[in-house]
Amino acid sequence: MATGGAGGGGLGGLGGAGSAGNADHHKRNTFTSYVAPLPGDMRATADTNEWCLPSDLRDVHLAKPRLLQGEQIVASAPAYMYSSIDPMDSGSGSSSSPADGKSHKEATFGLLSVTNFKLAFVPLHAKRNPAAPLGDLYQENAYLGRNEITLNNIDHIYTIAELGRAASALQAARGMASHGMASHGSRRKKLEPFKQQNISGRIAALHIVCKNFRLLKFAFQQQDSKMFGASDQGKLIASALVRFAYPMRHDLSFAYAHKEQYYSTLGASGTSMYATKNDWARELIRCGATEWQVVSSASVQLLQNPLQAGKYTVPPHFVIPKSCGVDRFLDLSRAFCDSRAAFWVYSYGGSAALVRLAELQPAAQQDTKSENVMLELVRKCDVGRQLNLLQLTDRLPNIQDVLRAYQKLRRLCTPETPEKFMLQDDKYLGLLEKTNWLFYVSLCLRYASEAAATLRSGVTCVLQESNGRDLCCVISSLAQLLLDPHFRTIDGFQSLVQKEWVALEHPFQRRLGHVYPAQPAGGNAELLESEQSPVFLLYLDCVWQLLQQFTDEFEFTQTYLTTLWDACFMPIFDTFQFDTQAQRLKAVRDSQLVLRPVWDWGEQFSDKDKMFFSNPLYQRQRGDLGAQAAAAAHRRSLAVGSKGAHGTGLGSTPSRNTINPQLFATASSVPQDRFLQPAHRIFDLQVWDQCYYRWLPVLDIRGGGQPQVDLFHRLLLSNIAKVQRCIEFQNFDDLPEAFYEATGESRPNQQRDEKPDKEDEAEFVDGVERRRKTTTKAATPTNGLNSVSGNLQLSTLSSFFPFGNPIAGDAPHQLYDILSSSSELLMETSSFLDKSSIV
Amino acid sequence: MDFSTSLTDKLASKTGSSNSLDSSSKSSSLGSKHGGGENGVLRDTPFSYLDGEEDQDQKNDVTYVCPYRGPVFGALTITNFRLYFRSLPLRDQEPPVVVDVPLGVIARVEKIGGATSRGENSYGIEIFCKDMRNLRFAHKQQNHSRRTVFEKLQTNAFPLSYSGRLFAFAHAAANSVNGSGGWNGWAVFEPLAELRRLGVPNDMWRATKLNECYAICDSYPAVWAVPKAASDDFLRRVAQFRSRCRLPVLSWMNPRTQATITRCSQPLVGVGGKRNSDDEAYLSFIMEANAQSDKLTIMDARPSANAIANKAKGGGYESEDAYKNVEINFLDIHNIHVMRESLRKVKEACFPTTDDSKWQTAIDNTLWLKHIRCILAGAVRIVDKVETMSTSVVVHCSDGWDRTAQLTALSMLLLDPYYRTVRGFEVLIEKEWLSFGHKFQQRVGHGDNKHSDADRSPVFLQFIDSVWQVSQQFHNAFEFNEHFLITIVDHLYSCRFGTFLCNTEAERVAEDLKHKTTSLWTHINSSLDQYLNPLFPSFTHGAELVLRPIASVRSVRLWKGLYCRWNPGLCAPQHGCQRTRELLSKQDQLFRHVNELRLKSNNRSNNMQTTTRLASPMH
Repeated sequence: MATGGAGGGGLGGLGGAGSAGNADHHKRNTFTSYVAPLPGDMRATADTNEWCLPSDLRDVHLAKPRLLQGEQIVASAPAYMYSSIDPMDSGSGSSSSPADGKSHKEATFGLLSVTNFKLAFVPLHAKRNPAAPLGDLYQENAYLGRNEITLNNIDHIYTIAELGRAASALQAARGMASHGMASHGSRRKKLEPFKQQNISGRIAALHIVCKNFRLLKFAFQQQDSKMFGASDQGKLIASALVRFAYPMRHDLSFAYAHKEQYYSTLGASGTSMYATKNDWARELIRCGATEWQVVSSASVQLLQNPLQAGKYTVPPHFVIPKSCGVDRFLDLSRAFCDSRAAFWVYSYGGSAALVRLAELQPAAQQDTKSENVMLELVRKCDVGRQLNLLQLTDRLPNIQDVLRAYQKLRRLCTPETPEKFMLQDDKYLGLLEKTNWLFYVSLCLRYASEAAATLRSGVTCVLQESNGRDLCCVISSLAQLLLDPHFRTIDGFQSLVQKEWVALEHPFQRRLGHVYPAQPAGGNAELLESEQSPVFLLYLDCVWQLLQQFTDEFEFTQTYLTTLWDACFMPIFDTFQFDTQAQRLKAVRDSQLVLRPVWDWGEQFSDKDKMFFSNPLYQRQRGDLGAQAAAAAHRRSLAVGSKGAHGTGLGSTPSRNTINPQLFATASSVPQDRFLQPAHRIFDLQVWDQCYYRWLPVLDIRGGGQPQVDLFHRLLLSNIAKVQRCIEFQNFDDLPEAFYEATGESRPNQQRDEKPDKEDEAEFVDGVERRRKTTTKAATPTNGLNSVSGNLQLSTLSSFFPFGNPIAGDAPHQLYDILSSSSELLMETSSFLDKSSIV
Repeated sequence: MDFSTSLTDKLASKTGSSNSLDSSSKSSSLGSKHGGGENGVLRDTPFSYLDGEEDQDQKNDVTYVCPYRGPVFGALTITNFRLYFRSLPLRDQEPPVVVDVPLGVIARVEKIGGATSRGENSYGIEIFCKDMRNLRFAHKQQNHSRRTVFEKLQTNAFPLSYSGRLFAFAHAAANSVNGSGGWNGWAVFEPLAELRRLGVPNDMWRATKLNECYAICDSYPAVWAVPKAASDDFLRRVAQFRSRCRLPVLSWMNPRTQATITRCSQPLVGVGGKRNSDDEAYLSFIMEANAQSDKLTIMDARPSANAIANKAKGGGYESEDAYKNVEINFLDIHNIHVMRESLRKVKEACFPTTDDSKWQTAIDNTLWLKHIRCILAGAVRIVDKVETMSTSVVVHCSDGWDRTAQLTALSMLLLDPYYRTVRGFEVLIEKEWLSFGHKFQQRVGHGDNKHSDADRSPVFLQFIDSVWQVSQQFHNAFEFNEHFLITIVDHLYSCRFGTFLCNTEAERVAEDLKHKTTSLWTHINSSLDQYLNPLFPSFTHGAELVLRPIASVRSVRLWKGLYCRWNPGLCAPQHGCQRTRELLSKQDQLFRHVNELRLKSNNRSNNMQTTTRLASPMH
């Protein structure tokens, strides 16, 4: 066995002991892997920090991943999984080798499986702490375990070749190959789709770079090649991945294999899907846009004619000027790329419209008549006959720029080794600037602000971009977020994504790389990737920046946005899977695809996880009730409780729903006083740490960061809700802990001996020791869910919460309690709480 | 009834901070900010004079060349404390441009333009400030107003170079009636009380007044905590082997594990590698005082190359061969000159304007964040040793008053939540910085016109920046807010208070600062509300008492609220805590309401039945 070397000390002996058994069960795996497995319910519950000796490799096959309906294992192999990089323990920055002593902690042994849906690593002997279900606190996906990723999420696969006898696979996985020698680049090789032949030589380790910034590292047990010639486990996994992670047709995606029925629970939600003519009509009414009409392709004869329809690529429903006949519009649209002649998306103040327009087709660019006519038609819809054309192509990056920026940014967020991390750290801001990512975010915010300002001044704004389906979506959505508080609610935001991205057909399938179209012979990889571009992530990042600047204006949290980015790679949900609506309908028709909107979050997450989507600082009603001038003052007075005035029956707020029937008149029901004016310089922007850094435990501020602040706000809301309930029922036995602290009173059901301790704490002079005492006391057992004795102890969270790694010593019961009672105020579940007093 | 009022008081004191911070929290604690001039002041006395403040000069026809608004015409007043400019309102709506700068902030005054200068506003005075800004005033050549302004500025901004006294003395003398509600900031730090808080004296450590007359070490405090095993004579001998006699003395002790942080200067090893058995024995006493560990860690703040280079000057570091069971680490923090240069570049990048497209590279090139990262990383390593390994740590650099103070103070702040309260932080500064002889006078150059003095360096500022960084990573771990830190930085320069004057405790005692000047803490503690962090209440419940900030440039940010605050366009209004305060006051209002209801129902039930069932709801 050639293992060992620096850092391999703990593992060196294992391979030898296990090699026979290893081979034995390896055969078994190959044998079973193509057989449809039992619908297992063995939930993969992995504790990544758990190190277990693989003393009995025969057990490895027990670590099977849980499979979904229609899911099959393609290949399995025992492997070691590595955490991305060690926590930094040297501040000196010198490349002192982190190898000794610590190395055994970072690797976990288990079974790595490739299925037609995911890459799953199940640790052997995964232990579950029965006392504290820590994992429960952190986001848990019903379809994916903590150590699992969908194949969709995989962007790049790197193989690390065997480095000769002296180096071990373990080193390879940790990236130790980069001892400064030039060999690094040549040894770490990117696997290209469709090139099976380049998996040659023994693969010691795999690095898998995910589209959501995760880097997974696996190392494989070295085998004696004399005994088992070609059976290389790394190769087995790698070739399975290359075959399944880069599907050439969309119907090879797992979505088509997963036939489980879907029963929507979205009925009650206010998310508008823009799938019907009515959805568009309602939006027209809400915006008070009277000069525009909805057109449904299905009712246009021209588009139903099979001979003619091919010339047009219009969505099923779209909104065009009333003054223009459908046929004339379609005639004009043929001059534009993707038939995207002026589509209405939004109106502000009744008349000023936001319109999306493609550029003229390259062939038609000499003749700008069609464009002029089209713009003239749009101009006529504006009361002031005014129009501002915002050409995005000149001002914003193209999709390749966005992709390049994203890839550079991701490289900064996925260092393979601590050395690389420190190297990047040394010139981090310069490297960040070179990615251009924040520059592009800044540009998007800037032009979205410009568009919003145009609308606010009562002038129609036309956004023009080559195909009108990429950065148009970003700018258009952002402008509406800036203008309209409705879109800052969760339902509103989802409706906005449906409207701008799904209904108007952002090509998600190509942009997110769901399909790798068969390459023409000799085609290069750049061409292959030229259609890929995370435009949607750019949008989410812009929204995140707004969240940072306007902390109480959005109903959703950054966790929601991060989850949304993850959801892009869940093939089970159709929302982000298609380029066009026609494609989607075809999939349903031809392949019986089950459509499952991602907005039905209950499909993926428990209620607890959904609660983290709502922002505890959100103020739903700002300005809605008061006169515009007094809005600010009003807000403050509302905060000081106006219980009597509003009564307790006024549970749901009118501004919540999309349509208020009373406003079915021509007037816009969009409030005009809640627009946002964001700062957009790079100076004002930040890196979205939760989304980009969450897989880097070295950057996890334990017990710090925004989640801890959020938790405090949830606690405040929870206290308010509890006290309101106490007042309502005139029952004061269940007051929140903070009440007793504020009054200095001891909790009635506690012994009196708490008192002296409190006084000690007040004695500041001997702070340290006393404080320690009281906090250990705080860990006294809790009785029941609601009544918690002792000092209230807020959980210590990861700064990437609810992502990142769980922290031991959490108090989940209290967290649940805080969560559920605080969300009574945030959500609209409760009927009697006086929400109006805090909104 | 008595109960209910006490509750109200408590709640009021908790939420009293509610809205007081709104307006000026971002900018400056000195009220010197652009544009926001209408603080309800009369035109004749444009600002409220401090006690002891007297007019020195006034000129009515001066142009302030504002880097943001362009030249504005107005009146310039110079007192013995401040420079005050207010533009004449051209239009009524527009707020006047106001510049209000304490003279202590001024680093250098220069005349620009001469008799032959042409062009508008090319003849005047340029003022370079220690707080990251420059001011330019243009005078009319013909009326000779420049000369007196220049002279008055020189004599009043640099009194020590013109045999004058700093304003702090005049201020305190005029303020004979101590009107600050009984708060005396000088009493915040009681060395013996602070040691008692840490559990000293105990079996292993004793407090000694050996240095009461500052005879053994003139830059050390009068009171030390040292290992019990070391006798007074022994201490005297050890001091001889340490640069400037700064022998290892206790900074902090973990009351639970007895793991300690001690601080000192470099040993006088020299090129020949001299050894001193007393010093070696002394370090082993420190190690033995901690029963939890049989090792001692020495954290040498310097890069190892610098530590080696110091041997040539007679200094050096402890060799692991000579000192038993000792492990030495170098923390790679650079010297005061490197830091000064770095901050100069920060100023270049931030003032007067920033180039957005090159902003990140510009900040990267200053290396300021890298230096901050190093300090944080060093402190985290000390915390790890003390907390996780329960090993005692000795910290030193060359003289042990710059980098050492940064490291000990910061690691104590991370280890001990007491230092994260307002009072505790004041104690921390008094103890680790002031009493242990960080040379504030030299590093800041109070009232001294030697602007290019190589002894000046933003060491203390860097510490405050590091604290801010930690507070940005742990939003709820500090009782105080950003405004508190900015206020400290402002008064580090202002010379209004005695706190940061002089270099050592010995000098301060000789100057009798405690009686002849006012403490900054008197000022701060008498209006505490505006310095409180509304998120702090949640921390007292927090499980993590020890903070471990992330020392990576990815997690460290430029403190725009401090360095970029003079650019009105760059400081986006932050309403971060507004909502928190609203929720807090709502909660407390409900608590009060509940309390009233409970009292009412209690009274009722008391009246109705003599058994007080509700008062003890056991069920």
